[in-house]
Amino acid sequence: MPRIYFKTADAHVDFAEGEEVNVLRMAIREDIDVPWQCASGNCGTDRLVVEEGAENLDPPRRRERARLGELVDKGYRLACQTYTRGDVTFSWDPDQVGLDDEPGTSSGGSRAGWAGSG
Amino acid sequence: MAELMSRSEFRVALEAAFSGTMAKDASFSRAWATGKLHKQHFVHWATNHYHYIGPFGDYLGLMYANTPDHARDAKDFLLQNMYEEELSDDRHTDLLIRFAEACGGTREYVQNRDNAMPFAKGMQGWMYYVSGRENFVVSSAALIVGLESQVPSIYRTQYPTLINKYGFSEWEAEFFDLHITSDEIHGERGYQIVLKYADTPELQQRCLHFVREAADMRFAYTKALYENYVMPDLGPWVEEDEREPALVG
Repeated sequence: MPRIYFKTADAHVDFAEGEEVNVLRMAIREDIDVPWQCASGNCGTDRLVVEEGAENLDPPRRRERARLGELVDKGYRLACQTYTRGDVTFSWDPDQVGLDDEPGTSSGGSRAGWAGSG
Repeated sequence: MAELMSRSEFRVALEAAFSGTMAKDASFSRAWATGKLHKQHFVHWATNHYHYIGPFGDYLGLMYANTPDHARDAKDFLLQNMYEEELSDDRHTDLLIRFAEACGGTREYVQNRDNAMPFAKGMQGWMYYVSGRENFVVSSAALIVGLESQVPSIYRTQYPTLINKYGFSEWEAEFFDLHITSDEIHGERGYQIVLKYADTPELQQRCLHFVREAADMRFAYTKALYENYVMPDLGPWVEEDEREPALVG
């Protein structure tokens, strides 16, 4: 049975073989303390480092790429935007806040809206 | 008389209540996912969908007013859901209209109630009724668990087809990408509220009844989309892989 291991919380969720599951949904379902706020790929509060199992994740779509920017290449994913079909291990900073709320930090990304591009 | 189910038993019962009549299995959804539809069909879909989900903020507002102060987490969830529908990013109905315009439709056409099927108006009326008149736990079960939590399963099949088969850009199909993930979380939070506050056998049974009714409503509405707009062009729906037959013709 595939397992999502939330390393920072030392908690895990198992799910049925053959399923693809949303990472944040599984954390909320099992009351695991992953930081999150909007669940729409806008705030970036739920960015997680993929420690193992990146090959089991679906590729990031537009909203996630736009929000994370260069953090995607550093191994980050947004829990709300990410589906997994196999074993994966995530870690995070338990005190992290939204990317736009982090003083002095450049995420390399931008708000996921389409301002200026539509 | 039914007994009070445990949290895990009740969750299984809720999931089972709509698993046999999920809108992703209706003929219009199957034709969409297998690349059979034309852009004009999508204009009709968007128009009807606009009149079905356009007042979603209204539905949530009615539920908010019916939720007691002691259920503060439920009230906060409804408020956040409402904010995300209308204000946090692009307004969701504007994303829907953007998709319709990419298919050759216009904002005026989509917003004109006369262009919606009676089924869509029926969905709208049913949602106003449930959100305004039922206990907040029951309306959460109906609208959030029975309807909103189905959305990712529908759009996860349809979105790749929109990009890869029909040739829409990610920008044009933003409505679907957004709902694949946001409704995962809304759906799960809806489950948590229903599991927590349906604390009598009667409430649990009424939640199950309305989840079944919600699934039936959405399935019938989705089936009607095919019969009204697609069948005249493509004939009755026939599933190509007979090992996995569609539920409806």
